[in-house]
Amino acid sequence: MVSALKDSAGAESERPVPRRPSPARGLGDRIFRVQLTASGVIVLAIMAAVGLFLLLRAGQALRTRGIWDFLTTAQWQPDVHRFGIAAVLTGTLLIAAVAVTISVPLALGTALFISDIAPRPLRRTLVSMVDLMAAVPSVVYGLWGLFFLQQHVIGVSRWLSDWFGWIPFLHVDGTQPGEPLASQSVYTASTFVAGIVVALMVAPIQCSVMREVFAQAPAGEREGAYALGATRWGMIRAVVLPYGMGGIIGGTMLGLGRALGETIAVYLIISPVFTIQPHILQTGSNSVSSLIALHYGDASTFGMSALMAAGLALFLLTLAVNFTASSIVARSRSGAQSEA
Amino acid sequence: MTVVDLEKGVPQEAPEDASADTADTAVAAAAALPDVPRRIGGVTRSGVLSVFGAAASGLCVTVLLFGELAPFSGALGFFITAYLSFLGIYAVLTGLEEDGQAVRDRVMTVVLWTAGGLMFTALTMVVGFTAWRGREALPHANFFTQDMQAAGPLDPLTHGGIAHAMLGTLIMIAIALAITVPLGLACAVYLNQIPGRFSRFVRTIVEAMTALPSIVAGLMVYAVWILNLGMQKSGLAAGFAISVMMLPIVIRAADVVLRLVPGTLTEASEALGAPRWRTVWHVVLPTARSGLATAVILGTARGIGETSPVLLTAGFTAALNGDPTSGPMVSLPLAVFNFVKSPEPTMIARGFGAAAVLMALVLVLFVIARVIGGRGPGHQNKRQARRAVRASRRDTTRFAELHTPGLELFETGDRDNSGESNEPRGAGNGAPSPDAPAADNGEQSPADNAPAPADGESAPQGPLAPDDETVTGGAGGNEDLATGDSH
Amino acid sequence: MSSQVINALRRLGILAALIGILGTIAGTPAVADSYTPIAGAGSTWAENAVDEWRRAVNQYGMRISYAGTGSSDGRRQFLSGTVDFAVSDIPFQTNPTDGSAAERPASGSYAYMPIVAGGTVFMYHLTVNGKKVTNLRLSGDVVTKIFTGVVKTWDDPVIKADNPGLQLPHRTIVPVVRSDGSGSTAQFTMWMANQHKALWNAYCAKVGRSGACGQTSYYPTVSGMIAQSGDLGVAGYVAQNYGEGAIGYVNYSYALNAHYPVAKILNHAGYYTEPTPQNVAVSLLKAKINTNKSSADYLTQQLDGVYNDSDRRNYPLSSYSYMILPLKVQGTFTKAKGKTLGAFSYYFMCQGQQQAPKLGYSPLPINLVRAGFDQIRRIPGVQAQNINIKNCNNPTFTANGENKLAQTAPYPAACDKKGAAPCTSGSGGATTGSGSSSGGSSGGSTGSTGTSTSGGTTGGNGSGSAGGGSAQPSVDPDTGQTISPGDATGSASGGTGTGADGTVALAQPVAVATGHGWTGTQTLMLLAAVLVFGLLLLPSLVSRLVGTKADGTGTGTGNSRSDDGSSR
Repeated sequence: MVSALKDSAGAESERPVPRRPSPARGLGDRIFRVQLTASGVIVLAIMAAVGLFLLLRAGQALRTRGIWDFLTTAQWQPDVHRFGIAAVLTGTLLIAAVAVTISVPLALGTALFISDIAPRPLRRTLVSMVDLMAAVPSVVYGLWGLFFLQQHVIGVSRWLSDWFGWIPFLHVDGTQPGEPLASQSVYTASTFVAGIVVALMVAPIQCSVMREVFAQAPAGEREGAYALGATRWGMIRAVVLPYGMGGIIGGTMLGLGRALGETIAVYLIISPVFTIQPHILQTGSNSVSSLIALHYGDASTFGMSALMAAGLALFLLTLAVNFTASSIVARSRSGAQSEA
Repeated sequence: MTVVDLEKGVPQEAPEDASADTADTAVAAAAALPDVPRRIGGVTRSGVLSVFGAAASGLCVTVLLFGELAPFSGALGFFITAYLSFLGIYAVLTGLEEDGQAVRDRVMTVVLWTAGGLMFTALTMVVGFTAWRGREALPHANFFTQDMQAAGPLDPLTHGGIAHAMLGTLIMIAIALAITVPLGLACAVYLNQIPGRFSRFVRTIVEAMTALPSIVAGLMVYAVWILNLGMQKSGLAAGFAISVMMLPIVIRAADVVLRLVPGTLTEASEALGAPRWRTVWHVVLPTARSGLATAVILGTARGIGETSPVLLTAGFTAALNGDPTSGPMVSLPLAVFNFVKSPEPTMIARGFGAAAVLMALVLVLFVIARVIGGRGPGHQNKRQARRAVRASRRDTTRFAELHTPGLELFETGDRDNSGESNEPRGAGNGAPSPDAPAADNGEQSPADNAPAPADGESAPQGPLAPDDETVTGGAGGNEDLATGDSH
Repeated sequence: MSSQVINALRRLGILAALIGILGTIAGTPAVADSYTPIAGAGSTWAENAVDEWRRAVNQYGMRISYAGTGSSDGRRQFLSGTVDFAVSDIPFQTNPTDGSAAERPASGSYAYMPIVAGGTVFMYHLTVNGKKVTNLRLSGDVVTKIFTGVVKTWDDPVIKADNPGLQLPHRTIVPVVRSDGSGSTAQFTMWMANQHKALWNAYCAKVGRSGACGQTSYYPTVSGMIAQSGDLGVAGYVAQNYGEGAIGYVNYSYALNAHYPVAKILNHAGYYTEPTPQNVAVSLLKAKINTNKSSADYLTQQLDGVYNDSDRRNYPLSSYSYMILPLKVQGTFTKAKGKTLGAFSYYFMCQGQQQAPKLGYSPLPINLVRAGFDQIRRIPGVQAQNINIKNCNNPTFTANGENKLAQTAPYPAACDKKGAAPCTSGSGGATTGSGSSSGGSSGGSTGSTGTSTSGGTTGGNGSGSAGGGSAQPSVDPDTGQTISPGDATGSASGGTGTGADGTVALAQPVAVATGHGWTGTQTLMLLAAVLVFGLLLLPSLVSRLVGTKADGTGTGTGNSRSDDGSSR
């Protein structure tokens, strides 16, 4: 290979004809290409195998049950062929919705704070801190939620349900407002608690995507806005936010994708129920990933297939969210250069 | 807290904010007679006073409301009410001397400070809480040197530890890295270097797979490896599961980093006649080295902390198991998960201790990533820049001595060079020194691949690319100015 | 590219070296008589015992890994050959009654061996005035009603009927059940299906399980129940400080560890009992063990006799837990592992049983130990030992084979008889400090505001309320007090304790919002708040408005500028 190179180089030095960047020149390049392509093929094979196997195994359950029934049944008894993901999917979506509702304002505010408000010497540290938080393992958030948040959030849940119980999803069954002996248990292990924990988990991810986009807002436009007499907030509204809109949406969606797939933090906190539970403050919730974590061990062959189907549904959901996110980011002004 | 931060933070900022200054002057120039230039983000005495005043009165109003009037209760309600009244009063106070825009600006500044403060408080709380609860277990030396084999559920913290989990984590992540790093980086290079329909397809699939929830990755390996192939639950299976999860993440991150390698560098290399593989090996990879390292390390941090794939595939044991191919093995997150399920206080303390160790591990990885990847591709620190300058000066002299361009130049140059320093001379030489270029050539490559003209002084500032990027970015931005404003 | 390969090789080499080093580290503590490590999984009901044994045999160089993942998971893993042994509370479900998939182990590939006995208990968390209630008593149908959602509050008349004199608060009952496939659930539901069939079937129908669900490993939940995985999860939830009002079923051992009380259950002799090792030993004398050696279910239990036993010491929910032994080399199991498994089994059949009572389990009786020895012989690769049963050191039986534990088991005290006032001693893991709690106290842990006496409790009985009442007369007691008027010995001390406890408990005001919904009061409050703000802010606002108007008419510049800004 080395000699081949030398030959070709030598040949070139004699006849200075411009090289045509042809796809493969020389043995080295050919091997190189083959090697790279092989790695691409291997990765593709692994990924495709995962996807196909998931589809294949899920197919058995889906065929038996029918997709519509699968989507609309709330129970989970695969062995008597009565199972569906209505309850778990609703739970997953509700947890993610709570998480995103809480995390987006927080992440957006923090991102703007870091990119435009915070004292300059502090910014680098803050950026590092946010990125570090994004790498904190989810089990740590789960611990915090289980041992700290759960007991401290009861008061908030109770207050919310007492005063806003007339809003359907904030209602809590089995409590009268102001009942002094109200059981605290009804406020624990709820969608709300899990949502808060997941919110804290995804907020740093969203924040770091948004911040990166905001930081790219063109300096010329910023200064233009200032030159026209804008205040700092005026500049943010006129320049940074429109420019970073793609990043905001993309970051939100990325966080949503993470929130949908979160397992351990949710599993530690919720108490699984297999009915559609729209009351987010009330105990009992469920999510697809914690369903899998709960039942993978004792599932029969068919039960495993049903779990795969649930996993597939979750995967398709996060896939849709992620692709939407990346297409939004790519289509936005800021997305042209950034990679969210 | 907001008040204090604001007071501390703002004065430092005013002098630094270059754009603010220019804007100030611009406004000043343009404005008519009584108009004062708008202050942007500066701190004024009245501003500070209004913050304090508003805070004090907000607090007082809330005390009044809570004590006498409203049906609120709890600390949280108090804080929310106090904050809202503070905001309202602050707005009015500022409104006494500023126009509507400035009031909005001030209020939003405070709100953003609060958002930032809230976020960092919450995150510090999460991490701090874990470390705090872990303090009971961490001071015991046996916590790091023993496994739980000899410790029952009721034993005090002086028995047993998490050595098995730490070892398990290391082994699993080593397996995962051994799979993902070569495969992931090669695939990323493939996506960048061999464009085509197939590589676009691979990229799409990889992007899709980043959405794969980690539990599904674990379920796959569990179903295929353990149920279908009848293998044991083991560290190897867990390593596979983590790999399946990490691979798309690493590929995607590496792909992004490789895309940032300036085209000028690769073009220069191609123009010199280097074959593609040399360009990749000596130009692209070294240039992107720090970014690639960051990608890998962040992927590692993500993989180390994952519980769900390990939960499904590794089994559970209390014993130290150094053999990933047989027998169950625990990782730190899994150990945490199992410890805290117990109602025993000592077990919970162990769980928090293990979580603290896990966090420390992630922190260390993260710091390494920052140190390596803090600089963008091709950026040099001073020492490296000086070295590059020296190298190209030597090149210049050699050019001057030899006067004959061509292959001999490279070969003799190489021999000389390897004699006098361990500076690797990457491009174009035939001696395959496998790790030296990879290890050291990163910031060197621009100079190497442009051994061009006699002017050695200017050559080393190779990576013009970032500037290029910003220039184009800026231009694009300006064109779109109108659309940006219309939002 | 060659360098790439070299690099990769080097990386692998480093990895291999690393693993090698670690392997040697791991290998060093092994003792001369080498045992191959084995791994098992299954019941969390028996996990505490297995963990204790696993720890004990560590000194002999045996490395046993045990994952308490639930009986169903253990059996499933045994079937798929990913573990060497499983521990399950119930046999393989070849004909499941709840509609789950049948488990079909290959015949002759496995054998059951009872490993430990124990009771499934109802661990609860109930406080009155900040004091744990520790002497709750429940009859079988009440337990069933609680776990089927018929009885919803602690002050329900049927619970009161079981606990005369105990003044229970009007608190919601939160049943805590197992979310994973569990042997504890199976034992509990089997008992319910056997003893309280009507209630259980009604519940099954209500939650949508097809027809009679009988024994099931998966508890059907309804809203209001908490489901947790593992006995640990259930015990952990009940023991949380917000677990107030919760009751869950776990093994006795977990309640002991968590220092929480368990409900005494009414047996057919009319006594409320708890599953002390002695009581369990007595109860299981009535268990029908399958002694047909050729049966696939050899050594499995038939518990009807236990449920219906009329011995005063009987605890109805007593049962054995089994280890499922492999009889063939299959899956991950090898003969070398059989040696370890055999040695481990010999250990826990004899010496290991000594630790059982301490942990809250009951040791095995002699007939089962003997049968167990026969089963151990069938493990491939086992080094059979001829253990003299007399030297077995099992606390259950004497040298001549009598069931010592059952013979010496104390009869329940008179106060445990149905209808008698509850004993003052605590139960389960909460035996200490029982006097004070049963002595009870008065007053509400609740508001200083007069939120109606919803608890409807009467101060009526005894010195307790008097003490409490006099200490804090202004506070409205709306939980009751627990007092034991009938017990002559207990009442005096209980009474004195009451006063003190009462005052302590009363000192905690709870912030309670009085009256709810949007009433006139709320409107007035809002108005007041608005007025306060108006008072504060209006002057400055008005002055500003006036100022700008004057400014605007005067010069116009300031106004135009702000207009400019806002229109942008």
